[in-house]
Amino acid sequence: MNYTTWIYIGIVGGVISIGVAIYLYFWVMRQNKGSEKAQEVSSWIRSGANTYLRRLYTALAILAVIIGVIIALIFSFNFENIGTTGIVVDPKNGIQMAISFVVGALCSAVAGYMGMRVAVEANVRTATAAEQSLESAFRISFYAGSVLGLAMVGLAVIGMSVIFLVTGQAHAVLGFSFGASTLALLAKAGGGIYTKTADIAADLVGKVEIGIPEDDPRNPAVVADNVGDNVGDVAGMGADIFDSYVASTVAVMLLGASFAETLQYQYTVIPLILCTLGVFASLLGIQFVRVREGGKPGAALNRGTIITCIIYIAMLLVLVFLGHVNMAIFWSAFVGIVAGVLIGFTSDYFTNDQHKPVQQTAKESTSGSAITIITGFSYGLISILPSILGVVIATLISFNVTQASGLPGVYGIGVAAVGMLAISGMIVSADAYGPIVDNARGIAEMAGMDHEVIARADVLDSAGNTAKAITKGFSISAAALTVLALFAAYAEVVEANGMAITISLREPLVVAGVLLGATAPPIFSALLMLSVTHNAFDMIEEIRRQFREKPGILAGTEMPDYDRCVGLAAQGALSSLVLPTFLAVGLPLLVGFVLGPDALGGFLGGAIFTGVIFALFMANAGGLWDNAKKYIESGKFGGPGSEAHKAAVVGDTVGDPFKDTAGPSINTLITVMSLVSSLFAPIIAVFHLF
Amino acid sequence: MTTHFYLSLLPEALIVSMLDPEEFGTYYAVGSAKKSRGQAIFFEVDPTFRHPYFRIDEALKRCVPHEDGSPKASIYVSVYRVLEHVDIDALMDLYLTTQDGRTLGLKSSDQLPPAEEGLHLYQEIVPVSPLVVSRLDPVSFYELIVKTPTSLITVPAITFVELQLGELANDPEMGLVENLPYSNIDHLRQCLSDVKTKFVSTKMVDRTHSPVVPYRCVKNGFFVGNAEKLRYYPMPSAETLRTENYRWFRSASM
Repeated sequence: MNYTTWIYIGIVGGVISIGVAIYLYFWVMRQNKGSEKAQEVSSWIRSGANTYLRRLYTALAILAVIIGVIIALIFSFNFENIGTTGIVVDPKNGIQMAISFVVGALCSAVAGYMGMRVAVEANVRTATAAEQSLESAFRISFYAGSVLGLAMVGLAVIGMSVIFLVTGQAHAVLGFSFGASTLALLAKAGGGIYTKTADIAADLVGKVEIGIPEDDPRNPAVVADNVGDNVGDVAGMGADIFDSYVASTVAVMLLGASFAETLQYQYTVIPLILCTLGVFASLLGIQFVRVREGGKPGAALNRGTIITCIIYIAMLLVLVFLGHVNMAIFWSAFVGIVAGVLIGFTSDYFTNDQHKPVQQTAKESTSGSAITIITGFSYGLISILPSILGVVIATLISFNVTQASGLPGVYGIGVAAVGMLAISGMIVSADAYGPIVDNARGIAEMAGMDHEVIARADVLDSAGNTAKAITKGFSISAAALTVLALFAAYAEVVEANGMAITISLREPLVVAGVLLGATAPPIFSALLMLSVTHNAFDMIEEIRRQFREKPGILAGTEMPDYDRCVGLAAQGALSSLVLPTFLAVGLPLLVGFVLGPDALGGFLGGAIFTGVIFALFMANAGGLWDNAKKYIESGKFGGPGSEAHKAAVVGDTVGDPFKDTAGPSINTLITVMSLVSSLFAPIIAVFHLF
Repeated sequence: MTTHFYLSLLPEALIVSMLDPEEFGTYYAVGSAKKSRGQAIFFEVDPTFRHPYFRIDEALKRCVPHEDGSPKASIYVSVYRVLEHVDIDALMDLYLTTQDGRTLGLKSSDQLPPAEEGLHLYQEIVPVSPLVVSRLDPVSFYELIVKTPTSLITVPAITFVELQLGELANDPEMGLVENLPYSNIDHLRQCLSDVKTKFVSTKMVDRTHSPVVPYRCVKNGFFVGNAEKLRYYPMPSAETLRTENYRWFRSASM
């Protein structure tokens, strides 16, 4: 089998994927935009989203240039044989690495922008289509979500393949991944802060103080809230999975590059082949996602995911048998994908109101908000176990199968992560569908559409919430496996630079590293959540001011100033990113240069373990509190207005930044930390204080 | 500008206003110049109505537009003991305004609701506002309180609403609460159980109950009556409200 041909096939697959994404984009744009009122409401959201993206991408462009220049400078010097040949100047390497970094950031930004662009156009069309039928509304929203999913995997595969083809170095692709992850960190954390600032402020003043319902156009923060759905769940989640997708592939490529020379090329290219198969599987799987009038959109999304998995596994089998690829690759990828789906569905168990955890939390809310918090917190902690077991089983099976086949076992762990993420095209399509239908519902409310339209939008929205919960479990678990592979890649890179690495808890520097690393995710989470509360505080004051100074808002005779809230949310989110970014990028470097590579290894270990646990806990506990509140609102334990409902609202408000700000951002934090460490490992191996 | 008469129940007051009922409901619920909120329930009163107890014509003289031409929102004619001095026949439509200012108009019905088996929960609104459980159907309850009291307790006129009890109406001890938002459910069960098993027809559940009515829990409708007459304002079904008055329904369901 010619592995170079596979790289070209990957590029073709990527081009097809982007082509289909563009086709779907124009298909969505051809759909009916609806009434003038609906278009006006949609234009507020579109304008708010564009304002935020413009500010975010401006900040990112400046950051990318600064980091790119630093990378170009640092990597223009080769310290590998400093003892014998001294420092060798190699500007080509520095420029290659810097370009890879910028291209990575650019691809992630383009995918996020495409996703956002179509989402803010599809929401009004989905609402308008819901006037006719559930089927047509579902089709528009899902195809719009597919634009992000397909563009994301297409750009990732093309980017990684082209950089590898041009440079022939897996390490250069690491720069691409670092670029993607840096953007993802800012997009996900910034989007998370934005969306929850707006959501919490809108709810606390609108619902609790004034008593106006969700999505009521009289609420000055309602547009910021809807914009937040897009920037947090479309651009943010898209960038997050793009980052994990690329990072897992790069980790395996780096491990492959450390193999013996005869195997090196083959095993460096294999992860790209796995991604290529995933692109084709997603393209086919998306065709099976359909729903009829009266049907269940959630079931259609799940069916699409399962069929995509089956297609992918079949393609893997064909690859292994016809291409004479080591069978361990199949088993590792197979274990990864099965574990990913199972973990996704166990997350659903803890966050779905059909099951005991949500129902029990709702029931115990009748005893007050303290009990709600304790119950949800406890179930959130328990929810970690199934996902961790899935990761453990996937890790052990993939490691041992691969080891038994004569390859380093850790390579199999990386392949399991790639297998899990290979069908990201489908997963992201289902995930991005959620905020689109959520926005469609908001537009239907604000534009005063018929109650039947809102009822259909509710059905679509409910499926979106389930898809979101599954995707979160999936992406966190994939990130866990990815960083395990990146951790191994880091050790390989250090050892390739002539330094033996010993990560033992009997070494005080390693223990120091582990402890410092373990504190990083909690501190990062705290910084993000404090940003949410500080920004929400400012926005609450602004909403109160508007209601106070414009009494006609509530009477419906005066328009609120939506732009003020949109601007506050955007400004607050972006200015809050400085410290978390430093923590993600600066702290590993500080630990590495001061305490040395062993301590940095310990640091990564500590960060990975607490990071995975915090991410799972926060995502699941937040989802559980949210659905416990919705369960009560559906008419259980007293329904809306009851004491149980008041307690559940407190739980939901606490859980909001857990599930949509801190939890999902931790994936990106640990990926960025691992990538920074691997990228700078050759330099840290030479320059460190201890 | 037309001048309207309103009999507000929260608080009990007779008001003249240049706002039509929907505008008045919004104004009354959310205020005009400061952030405020609160449910409003009021009747529109026949503009020809006069009673020596009220200095209506004096109020009408003061009810003139503001200097900028905007309508006068409210002139209070009287507060306290208003309902007992208003002729029931002078009451026109009843308006229910949510805390965020959405108003629903109800028309009175000539037919009273049929008596049903099971226990009842009444929220009195005017002149006092306790929450009461009873074995009596709404008409019998009104007669007991206003027309033929069997105890010392009586009022000259009353406005009350029957609230849903769900399964508790027939099974106070074990019935499911489901979507009933009432606080202190155990005490409510005990009170229901008492009127079911003991020799009392009514029992006060909460003597300091908030007069705010949980609209989504209204069972049949609103009742207003004095010694001469009882009038009934039926509440549309939840489905009708959802399809025909979605905005109000949504606000009322919070």
